[in-house]
Amino acid sequence: MNQDAGILKDNALRSTLNEIMPKALTRREFLKIAAGATAATGLAPAVRSIVIEPFVHPPEEELPGQATWYASTCRQCPAGCGIIVRTIEGRAKKIEGNPLHPLNRGKLCARGQAGLQVLYNPDRLKNAVRQSGGRGSRQFEPLYWPDALDLLRDKIAALSGAERLAFLGGLMPSHAYRLTARLLEALGAAPPVIYDLQSALEGRSAASQLSLAFFGAPDLPEYDLSQSDVVLSFGANLLETWMSPVAQSAAYGAMRQGRMGRRGLLVQFEPRLSATAASSDEWIPVKPGAEGFVALAIGRIIVEERLGHVGSHRSQAVLYQNVDVRDMSTASDVPVETLRRMARAFADADRAVAIPGGYLAGQRNGFSSMLAVQALNLVVAQVGRQGGVFLSNPGPTAALRQNPPVNSFDEVMDLIRRMKAGEIDLLLVHSANPIYELPAAAGFAEAITRVPFVVSFSPFVDETAIWADLILPDHTYLESWGYQVPSPGADRPVVSSQQPVVRPLYDTLAAADVLLGLAARLGGKPADALAWQDEASYLEETVGELYGSSLGAYDARTPSGFWALWHQYGGWWSEKQIRREPELTDVVQKPLAISDPQFEGDPQDYPFHLYPYSSITLTDGRGANLPWLQEAPDPMTTVQWGMWVEINPTTASALGISDNDVVQVESPHGSLEAPVVIYPGIRPDVVAIPVGQGHQDYGRFAQEVSGSNPLTLVAPVTDPGTGALAWGATRVRLKPTGRKQFLARLESLDGKGRESLD
Amino acid sequence: MTRWLTLLSLLIVASVVVGVILTRAQVFAAPEQPIAYNHQSHVEAGLQCLFCHTSALRSDIAGIPSMEKCMGCHNIIATDNEAVQALTSYWKQSQPIPWNRVNQQPDFVYFSHQAHLGAGINCETCHGDVGHMTVAQPVVKMDMGWCLDCHLKQPENKIARLADCLTCHK
Repeated sequence: MNQDAGILKDNALRSTLNEIMPKALTRREFLKIAAGATAATGLAPAVRSIVIEPFVHPPEEELPGQATWYASTCRQCPAGCGIIVRTIEGRAKKIEGNPLHPLNRGKLCARGQAGLQVLYNPDRLKNAVRQSGGRGSRQFEPLYWPDALDLLRDKIAALSGAERLAFLGGLMPSHAYRLTARLLEALGAAPPVIYDLQSALEGRSAASQLSLAFFGAPDLPEYDLSQSDVVLSFGANLLETWMSPVAQSAAYGAMRQGRMGRRGLLVQFEPRLSATAASSDEWIPVKPGAEGFVALAIGRIIVEERLGHVGSHRSQAVLYQNVDVRDMSTASDVPVETLRRMARAFADADRAVAIPGGYLAGQRNGFSSMLAVQALNLVVAQVGRQGGVFLSNPGPTAALRQNPPVNSFDEVMDLIRRMKAGEIDLLLVHSANPIYELPAAAGFAEAITRVPFVVSFSPFVDETAIWADLILPDHTYLESWGYQVPSPGADRPVVSSQQPVVRPLYDTLAAADVLLGLAARLGGKPADALAWQDEASYLEETVGELYGSSLGAYDARTPSGFWALWHQYGGWWSEKQIRREPELTDVVQKPLAISDPQFEGDPQDYPFHLYPYSSITLTDGRGANLPWLQEAPDPMTTVQWGMWVEINPTTASALGISDNDVVQVESPHGSLEAPVVIYPGIRPDVVAIPVGQGHQDYGRFAQEVSGSNPLTLVAPVTDPGTGALAWGATRVRLKPTGRKQFLARLESLDGKGRESLD
Repeated sequence: MTRWLTLLSLLIVASVVVGVILTRAQVFAAPEQPIAYNHQSHVEAGLQCLFCHTSALRSDIAGIPSMEKCMGCHNIIATDNEAVQALTSYWKQSQPIPWNRVNQQPDFVYFSHQAHLGAGINCETCHGDVGHMTVAQPVVKMDMGWCLDCHLKQPENKIARLADCLTCHK
């Protein structure tokens, strides 16, 4: 009774209770209710029954109760890590890293682990559908697959010219890309345009162009972190989302602790303290867009002061002849003393490497910055040397070298222009979600309405699929066949294999089979170009070329034996380390360009730089429909299920805002509202927003989280050097709204030490 | 008012008692099955337990036979039997029979059929004389006391391992 009385002392509570109940609860009544509840609980086990369903047709070799592990390839990001999936009685239960795979060596990140929720997602499309109420109506009518293929065949046959057909892809499976490219070529249409936000944020197309300019090959560079003593990372989120984070995290561990008596040094140059910067020895918050200046100054100091053990820097003097260290220091906000210290550390190290990351590529002077950073590796003679820069091995056969390239943003803009001009009659979209992933100001949402017929291959109804007439859902990756040549690769030639770990859950169809079925229906040239019976026979032929290779880590006596081992191992790779040494082009014999960053928005009106960064869990938003990833706390802010704006404490106090205050972020192209996280690890002139939330479609878990897509703010401008989207080149202003929205944060804001930050 | 309350209290007490009794009784009651599968007639026809529950020797669980295995015989045997017709109807729709579990261990218990059969224990030791049952029913309350009762009767050199918590609660 004491307890009850204690509670009821609170008058407010008492009045609430009185509203609910006609009179206050007496002890006797309370006990009666409790007894009733107990009785009901006691009865509960009596009605419990567990259904066990046997197989109708048991899979061969299936032993109930015993796990079967299948090796495959992760498709949650472009890295291509090897996975093994535990299945019991035909159901996938757990994903782990493949210990044999040379790229990730048994490790796997949270996004890879969450792949099960792609498979079991309740918002998957269960069959082919047509939007019966017209595009955007969200009313779907199931379609019988052969009818869907006939419809698509009719649409292609009815085109007045093949140039009126366009294909937009994202992170496509390599074999589906190759079949698409062959089909489009046979039809006489333009090749597929490949673009996704993650690739833009990590600067994939720019990195490829940098390789081409520097080393004469478009393959991505591979930085030998594990053997390096000093690593200067310029905006590369090595341990989070950039390129191949699992392999890089393992290499980072080896760099720190893998060698007796040698501990590598990591310095991170970027305007915001990322999780990678938090794991570095030193974080240097450079002025946005001025990272290249830091690299130029370091190079100039090394050459001028003849630092290091390389001997002569005479041949490189020409690179830095126009560089003034003081100017560079002023422009980048990095003191000359720091630059000199970095130059010494970098040049004096036995093995050092400088890495041009994604944030550089997202600036309008991106290409010159990336060239300046890559040139540092040349100055300390680390190109093709242990602990330095290598090139990724390309695919081992001609067919396996035809992998999806990443097109520049300029090429996407060209497609949008053609769509707007009414030059496209049929648009096919596979594993891309341009309406979400492109800056809203690029106008894709408007352009798609001008295309008479749109087909999506998405397994989920995403923002773009809503505008499709026809959705032909592909299998999810755990139900699919395929292969991938990882890029950047490992220290040896690798091809990862992909195989279904479970039977497809629903009536979905592999995009490769759609393409083959379509080609057969079209007849003529397309049928000749895609003359395989089905996806598996195409793969068996393509992959079969590796049979008998003397490099392979395993031997097979027959082609079918190879096909089995290829799946059991999770791919094919060389037994021995084979590193590809780059050859330098003549770009390194001319003075390096000093190009000033340019930003969209007047600095007076829009005082802050916007930094939309790739979320470690949701990446570019493709993970937003997976509750495990939504629930995983962001490593720096510990926010779960949310979206926020990071603001420096000085900026916040100048604007009179504190944690959880909702602010309006406005750019010349759009605005959004989000709660504030006061974050000391960010420059006062920068605001950062994680990418990934703010979905209008894409399933219940993605839609239910309150948040906005920062791409609505981003100006559709490019770096003239690469044509890549300059996603970091937009300025914004902040306006307090006076409202509050409390973020769920794992780490409490109350308590020790926090007072000093606000 | 008081009379009503007394009546209500009595009702509650009665329902608690009935609830407890039902729960205890449920342990030994055969759960209702979608098809009245007759164990006895199969055993009398000469079938061994392991013919259908094939994985008991090789896996943690004994397994329920696949529909394919049932139909391997019942395509022609006893097709006029009502239960067999029900089976055939599931098979024709490619649907599994939703059997109700008879013996259940909680999630925190690790139990392996393979280990017990390997130690020379017969099916009947735990499952009773299934050969004389029609629909399977539980014969013992499979709680921890019952497990330990047997584990502690084993040869002395094995008891330390068999009585270790982590043997069953991994």
